[in-house]
Amino acid sequence: MTPTLQLLGSFFPPDMSMSYLLALLPLVSETLALVVGAITLAYAAGIVLALAVAVRLRGAALLVNALALVRAIPDLTLAILCVIAFGLGPGAGLIALFVYYTAATAKMFADLLVTAPRRPVEALEATGAGRLAVALYGLLPLTGQSLLTYGAFALECALRSSVIVGAVGGGGIGGELVGSLAGFDFRHATTQILLLVLVIAALDRAVAWLREHPRWLALLLPAGLIAAAAYLPRTFALHHALQTIGDMVPPTLDAAALAALPGLAWETIWMAGVGTVVAAVAGLLGAVLASHRLMPWGVRFPVRRLLELLRTIPEVVWGLVLVVIVGIGPLAGAAALALHSLGSLGRLFANELDAAPAGPQDAIVQAGGGRPAMLCYATIPLSLPAMAAHLLFRFDWNLRMATVLGLIGAGGIGQALYQAQQLFFYRQVLAYVLVTGVLVLVTDRISARLRRRLNNPRPAAHHCLDDVAGLAT
Amino acid sequence: MTAATPLLVVEGVDAAPAANAAPVLRGVSFTIAPGTCVALVGASGSGKTSLLRTIAGAVAPAAGRVLVEDRDLVTLTGGARRQARARIATVAQRHDLVEQLRVDKNVMAGALGRWTTFHALRFLIHARSEELDEARVALDAVGLADKVARPTAALSGGEQQRVAIARALVQAPALLLADEPVASLDPANAIAILELLTCLARARGMALLVSLHQPDLAARFADRVLEVGGGRVVERERTGA
Repeated sequence: MTPTLQLLGSFFPPDMSMSYLLALLPLVSETLALVVGAITLAYAAGIVLALAVAVRLRGAALLVNALALVRAIPDLTLAILCVIAFGLGPGAGLIALFVYYTAATAKMFADLLVTAPRRPVEALEATGAGRLAVALYGLLPLTGQSLLTYGAFALECALRSSVIVGAVGGGGIGGELVGSLAGFDFRHATTQILLLVLVIAALDRAVAWLREHPRWLALLLPAGLIAAAAYLPRTFALHHALQTIGDMVPPTLDAAALAALPGLAWETIWMAGVGTVVAAVAGLLGAVLASHRLMPWGVRFPVRRLLELLRTIPEVVWGLVLVVIVGIGPLAGAAALALHSLGSLGRLFANELDAAPAGPQDAIVQAGGGRPAMLCYATIPLSLPAMAAHLLFRFDWNLRMATVLGLIGAGGIGQALYQAQQLFFYRQVLAYVLVTGVLVLVTDRISARLRRRLNNPRPAAHHCLDDVAGLAT
Repeated sequence: MTAATPLLVVEGVDAAPAANAAPVLRGVSFTIAPGTCVALVGASGSGKTSLLRTIAGAVAPAAGRVLVEDRDLVTLTGGARRQARARIATVAQRHDLVEQLRVDKNVMAGALGRWTTFHALRFLIHARSEELDEARVALDAVGLADKVARPTAALSGGEQQRVAIARALVQAPALLLADEPVASLDPANAIAILELLTCLARARGMALLVSLHQPDLAARFADRVLEVGGGRVVERERTGA
């Protein structure tokens, strides 16, 4: 225990000198510019694609569904591919974030537009209006508020992703953090983590405010365009990129790698499974303690802040710290996933407990039952289907993150992928990318089916919101 | 009726609530002459809405055909279909306005069938005074001239119903379909809306096909009454004047 404590101690005190903070400022602003630039472009592309689907332009639905497959590629993998194609630097990071979030927003926006209220849209079609006119006078105004809400969410999760993107050479503060930890410069790493948490928390608040005042999002448009123009890759080494892509085919794994594959896949699934289950059990306890209905202010306030803190620190950052403390391996990965997921599931579960219908709960109390009886016989059973849906989304998400955590030495397919890229074994890289994609896609489908079987009474758009909330948290 | 050419011809139509659903009405046939007000009466779920949606072209008939001004929507595509649809206006019971847009935008949506996409976009950003005048004239006809610049969500149910009628007037159709336009209104408002619809239809030479729950209102306002029930549509003989 003592060496662990000693190691932990070496993270403190953080270097809070003004000169160091000032030195970090350009990196923080680069991260923010990357995120805002990429999201602005992704939002614009996403809305155009989604409108094409909504007005039933031929081939558009196919295109968006094909794009949705990009979401099966974890953002780390995408970032690695972009670094290969565009070289080190923020340009590659911008493109990686742009591609990932275009795929995500196009699918989400298309789902939203397609589920817009039918009656007003039909009424417009009945006037003989063309498809674009129906979109302008019906679909966009009807769904505008939700589009903006989800856009704000996307901004928040892109900031978290940017840490990962930076870690593989995509610019921003992520790379610096990985460098500090690799060089055992733990005190500076603590400063960077604190700064990151501060920025994410500030953005969290800003996004919450923007959701109430969506008009201000318009200000992001010029900022995003300027940032995108500043950071778009200057040099796109087409020849090099094509050569690299050529080097990737055919995807190949040698006998040894093939034999190790089931073990690696299992490690990834184990990490995601253990991380999710631990987070769910602890999260339920946390949710009861954080519930407005069940707990007095004195209990729920500190619990809610704790959950917020856990959630604010991205999985990768938890992973970086835990690898140092508990050592390289899937345990560090599972613990990182559990800590971050505890924060997000705890909050989501608490919201579900508070949203459970009052009638059946009151009935138990009327019948003379105490609070524990009400909790066990009404509140929890009533919110169980919704909580199970959150849990499944979380598992999906954690599976993606488990491959990302491979990067920092948590094992699994992600680690093999990262090592193959470091050694320029591009055929292996593509093979691992494909295996990861299939793994994510298969669990995605299974969990979608399970969610449907839960018969969650909420409309599709809310699931869409969960999806984004899953991304954001 | 002795009118020479009927405006609407419904011929052996099987009407279903949606494209792949089972028909709720079978073998429906009737015609409507220009400038006639016809009521469609029947219980909830009898198929009134399905029939109206089939006539409006929202759902293709499972069998038979619908002709409006001698044109069959099913056989038309693209611009020709849009032009033909623009000749049929629909007023639903409620919830068919885009509440996020202002009243003038909702009213002028009736003109989308004859506007280009660029025109539609330009009107959203900058409305010309003659366009606003057109909206005001249509709103004046339904008694809402002063609400032209109001947010649609701020209007009452009855007022929203009138805005939908004003939109139909801007569309200047040959056939006006009204699907239970008074279902969610109190009796006084219901009578006012039906009076408005029938007066406007007669004054502008439009044919009106309106579905209603209440037989007494149908008898009072319509020239002819069609009864929907048991999967059939039959014309009710007028008793008295």
